[in-house]
Amino acid sequence: MGNSSSSSSRPHNDETVDFGYLTPQGVYTGPRDWNHAIVTQLICSRRLAPFYRPLEDYDDSWTDDQILAARRNPPEVEQSDSTRAEASQALPASASSKSHTKRPSTLKDPAKPEAAIYRGAVECPICFLYYPPNINHSRCCDQAICTECFVQIKRSEPTTTHLVSEPAACPYCVQENFGIVYTPPPWRAGIGSEGSNSHWLDSHKGSSSIETSVPSAPTHKRRQKSFGADSPEVVTTDHIRPDWEAKLAAVRAAVTRRANRRIIMRQVGDRLIPVGVTSGRVHALTGEEGGSEGAENGGSSRRSRRRQQAPNGPFEQYLGQDLEELMVMEAMRLSLLEHEEQQRKEAEEKKKKEKEAAAKSDSSAESGAGPSTDSSNVEASSSSSTPQNRSFLNIRRASKSRSPSPAARPTGNDHQADAPPFSTLNAALSTSSTASAILNSSISGVGENTSVPGAPESVSQPAAAAGAEAAESQSQPRESQEASPETSASRPEAVHTDTSVSVLSTDSTVVASDLTYDHLPSSEENSAQEPLIPKKPNNATTSEDGGEPPNHVGNHTTA
Amino acid sequence: MTSISSRRLAKELAEIHSEGCPVGIELVKADDFTCWWFTIEVMGESLYQGEKFTLQFRFDSGYPISSPAVQFVVTDGKQAPIHPHVYSNGHICASILGNEWSPVLSVVAVCVTLQSMLASCKEKQRPVDNDRYIRHAPDNPKKTQFHYDDDTV
Repeated sequence: MGNSSSSSSRPHNDETVDFGYLTPQGVYTGPRDWNHAIVTQLICSRRLAPFYRPLEDYDDSWTDDQILAARRNPPEVEQSDSTRAEASQALPASASSKSHTKRPSTLKDPAKPEAAIYRGAVECPICFLYYPPNINHSRCCDQAICTECFVQIKRSEPTTTHLVSEPAACPYCVQENFGIVYTPPPWRAGIGSEGSNSHWLDSHKGSSSIETSVPSAPTHKRRQKSFGADSPEVVTTDHIRPDWEAKLAAVRAAVTRRANRRIIMRQVGDRLIPVGVTSGRVHALTGEEGGSEGAENGGSSRRSRRRQQAPNGPFEQYLGQDLEELMVMEAMRLSLLEHEEQQRKEAEEKKKKEKEAAAKSDSSAESGAGPSTDSSNVEASSSSSTPQNRSFLNIRRASKSRSPSPAARPTGNDHQADAPPFSTLNAALSTSSTASAILNSSISGVGENTSVPGAPESVSQPAAAAGAEAAESQSQPRESQEASPETSASRPEAVHTDTSVSVLSTDSTVVASDLTYDHLPSSEENSAQEPLIPKKPNNATTSEDGGEPPNHVGNHTTA
Repeated sequence: MTSISSRRLAKELAEIHSEGCPVGIELVKADDFTCWWFTIEVMGESLYQGEKFTLQFRFDSGYPISSPAVQFVVTDGKQAPIHPHVYSNGHICASILGNEWSPVLSVVAVCVTLQSMLASCKEKQRPVDNDRYIRHAPDNPKKTQFHYDDDTV
């Protein structure tokens, strides 16, 4: 009424709520990664204290001028335009008048309500700054926390080594699902105050002692009960960062992708030679895998798939070719060279011996039969450089997942047949020192999922140990990928299905392979799902991947 | 405009200067708001009687939302205490320095916690994986992902 003209001349009416602001006042300088629109809405609806300009210090005996002088200067930096735009979009239509948001004349204002609101100021226990007594309180233990600090508290970001996202705990009492409850002051000012009977200026108009009347009003009574995280009046850290789930899914997808890289092994005689690493990217999937995970992971995986498909440019496949991968490739190449060299030497030696033997004893028949396996080895190794050689082994590469949830290994499903004949692999690994070094360092967790040629069903399975996500998916019903919109990008990739299945083709090298497999323990019981190298407990893994921080077993002290 | 970390540290420092540190804890240096040193010793009966250790705090601009990097100083002839949770490079495996850090904690609170960690020690020994850890340990203990598996100590 009477003051409506004066209040509309006040710029703070534009974007303030109860003399506080909709955007942070520069206490923290880090990224503002919460959802601004949601925070703005919560402030406008007075479920979250506005961002007040904090006082560096406070004393009850201070005059209004002292209080205003103690206020932190508003951030000079332009708040990012997007922030502002977003904020004002979310506002009720009232907040449209324009942008000179500085508050020029408050000091000349005789009433100084902006000083009065600081009466009885409360120190935020985290930033150590003082705020008006209408401050947020933790839902669980009723401790004060300013909005600046509240918006900083969030779930810890999932990392590739820590694939979970626990809800933020209360900084005071460590209860999970930190949230606050805000009790607005009995008066209103700024946004949402129009037409309200309890407008601060109205209710205090004519009051002779504004300064003294305020402090008594909003003193916080300690409440007895705590609010549940899902109470309607509670604002949790997840409310203002609703994207945490998508973030987690994205990291999981990245990890699964890496876990799905496989070392491609080539069967050469009785040895396995690593010849490459698959990219771990998700390409077209077999129907079987396509269905399984999508059904399991529902919403989150749908999201991650979309996100991942978006940037599918022509270069995307190369982005994953990180240094680590290249190094493994190089090590494999050297190993292969070394191996071939050795094979050739051995073969030459054999031949020499045979000749000598043949020369000494004239029994030429024996010498012909004797080295048959060896010569086939040679044959295999020489032909191994041709692309037609189909005797590949896919060994799933180290999963970097150290998800604490046990990666439930699928048992008793129809994939049993593709487990590796244990002894072959061991033998193979021990013969090729480089390969075994690589495998030891990089596969240590997850040797299962080795598909051996000769097991016709050796379609690569979804990553058993690539995280519980993938593992769980194993038991899911089949669906074709196209039919399942929920198909996740994080799904393990079916790579080299063809190569492993086609082992029994009539390739020239099959002779060697057949010879090799004849004496293998290929029965299903035997091969089950044995890991190539026994899986270490999660906490004992050392730094399997150079780039990431070592994981340590240790003990700890609780506070 | 000063950052939240130096602002808060300034207040913590002022408090230390005005009220002093708890018994057994002394401020060695706090010349700036990036690195502080304290000495701590365990008072009364303990395995560490007469020993004095130096604690280093390093703060990044995210303090106090992000935890300080805390370790024992092992240079200049100083030694880390022999303790099942203290590596010989000075790194400390304590949950409050990692995932259980709370912005409500302060530098002095951390000192007191570590002091009581030493005080309750029953046997002087290094962590079992000490050798393995220190070979590859990052300079900043915060880069280590400790696995806290012992709630008892």
